[in-house]
Amino acid sequence: MRLESIARVIRSKNAGPCLLTFDVMLPDHAAFAYVTERVASLRRQVAQRYGRSENEIAVLPFEPALAVKITLPRDVVSGDVGDRDVYGAQQHAPLLDIEL
Amino acid sequence: MTAMGRLLADFSHRRRPLRSLGASGQLGYGIPTPALEAGLARAPDMIGIDMGSIDIGPAYLGAGKMAPTRIGAKRDLRKVLRAARRLDIPLVVGSAGSAGARPHLDQTLEIIREIAREDDLAFRLGVVASDLPREEVRQAVAAGRVRPMDTMPPLTNADVDAAAHIVGQLGTEAFRRALELDVDVVVLGRACDTGIFASIPAMLGFPPGIAMHMAKIIECASLCCVPGGRDTILGILDDDGFDLESMAPNRAATPSSVAAHSLYEQADPYEIREPSGRADLRRVKYLALDNRRTRVEGAIFEPAIRQTLKLEGATMIGHRALLIAGAADPRFIAGHKEIFAAVSQVVRGLVCEDADEDYRLSFRLYGVDGVRAWAEPPAQMPREAFVMGECIAPTRERAEEVIRTTKQYLLHHGYDGRLATAGNLAFPFTPPEVVIGEAYRFNVFHLMDVDDMARLFPAELETLGR
Repeated sequence: MRLESIARVIRSKNAGPCLLTFDVMLPDHAAFAYVTERVASLRRQVAQRYGRSENEIAVLPFEPALAVKITLPRDVVSGDVGDRDVYGAQQHAPLLDIEL
Repeated sequence: MTAMGRLLADFSHRRRPLRSLGASGQLGYGIPTPALEAGLARAPDMIGIDMGSIDIGPAYLGAGKMAPTRIGAKRDLRKVLRAARRLDIPLVVGSAGSAGARPHLDQTLEIIREIAREDDLAFRLGVVASDLPREEVRQAVAAGRVRPMDTMPPLTNADVDAAAHIVGQLGTEAFRRALELDVDVVVLGRACDTGIFASIPAMLGFPPGIAMHMAKIIECASLCCVPGGRDTILGILDDDGFDLESMAPNRAATPSSVAAHSLYEQADPYEIREPSGRADLRRVKYLALDNRRTRVEGAIFEPAIRQTLKLEGATMIGHRALLIAGAADPRFIAGHKEIFAAVSQVVRGLVCEDADEDYRLSFRLYGVDGVRAWAEPPAQMPREAFVMGECIAPTRERAEEVIRTTKQYLLHHGYDGRLATAGNLAFPFTPPEVVIGEAYRFNVFHLMDVDDMARLFPAELETLGR
């Protein structure tokens, strides 16, 4: 299943100027369980799509909000030369068609 | 008697829940009046509002400028000042003027003095500046008491000297010292947003973990609701937890919407950090009181072994000028990489005849790679694309010289297979070159150990009106 067909929210934002954090919010416990059972595959695909090694990708299930948080280093510190997204709010697109 | 004096006296007679109003998510961008007035009708004990964030990038901190307009900031400050004076309750403002350095604090205080004069308001104002003297930071670097945050490199003395301003994110402790000056209004320089709403609870003896958790939520006003928004929110704190209620009737604080707020702009949704410690949210429970109110319990405060201050600093890297244009020629769009490289070389030859290559010129083609530096080109090129050329140079004049030259040669560049020999670019207006001004980067984002906050950041008192 594609991530965009499972999740009800897929968003990105800075977590401080050096990190990018993604929230994948799921509609129910079943979808949350489906994704959290596939964290290894999720991490591998995120690393590949964002050009990072797997150990740079933090994946953290957050059950109170039925969400999975993914955090990784920004390629360029927010607002530095060459940055294209100071707030980091449009960096989620490569997540949408991840197959889980 | 001051508003703080009145509040402390009231609590000394009878212990009761504390009612805090989070006026709006960010001061300067408008505070919706209906929800604010609804909140004021609910007998709040204090009003708090945040002005700042690091999300807005390095330019405001570096240049000493506010992110909103002065008009917007004054309009919103007037609204909350008048509300707080009308009810005679404390007003607490954090991260003055967006980035919270001395120039931002001074602009904010100047606006507050103007409002006091114009509206004939009288009050006592507590202020704490958050700027760090360079010498203090240098000494801490030398003593090994400064560590990088996340992916930043270690801090050097050169960074300390280069930063236009260095501020520390002050915590609950600093707000408390300002409130203890027996005041009506408190304004801090750069500060943790939690301190705005956790400081009065700390003075009244509420559990710090629960207070910090509530503070982290209500500083964003009704963002924790469905639908999320910036309308005023009411937080009612007791010794076991807090109740949340948006003052906009169409917004509901539900257990899942409130829990989800912990994710926002945070790498770790299970903790909130401050200089003096952290709130652990692992055991938090979110309980629906009804369909638009939620109760939250269970955050636990863990004091830090030593206090740490998050430092922020930005340094100027030059002056920025832009070229703004469009393209609709499929051959130009397909060949843009080679065209940009070739034009950059032509420009270099022309502007570096008598000068060094002292600038950086880059291009983004929106529609292809404007938002992300994608590893792969798109499967299909877009019908139209937006071309943005960017030059950063040591002076404004140099940046403008490079970008204007670039415009001319990008317009007329003859590339292989070109059919449209009259011009490569569509200018939506002329001049298509824009000089943005000074450009900055964050060169300080570090943690510094601090023993004595009060020595570095003393609280000051000012009396206005009367």
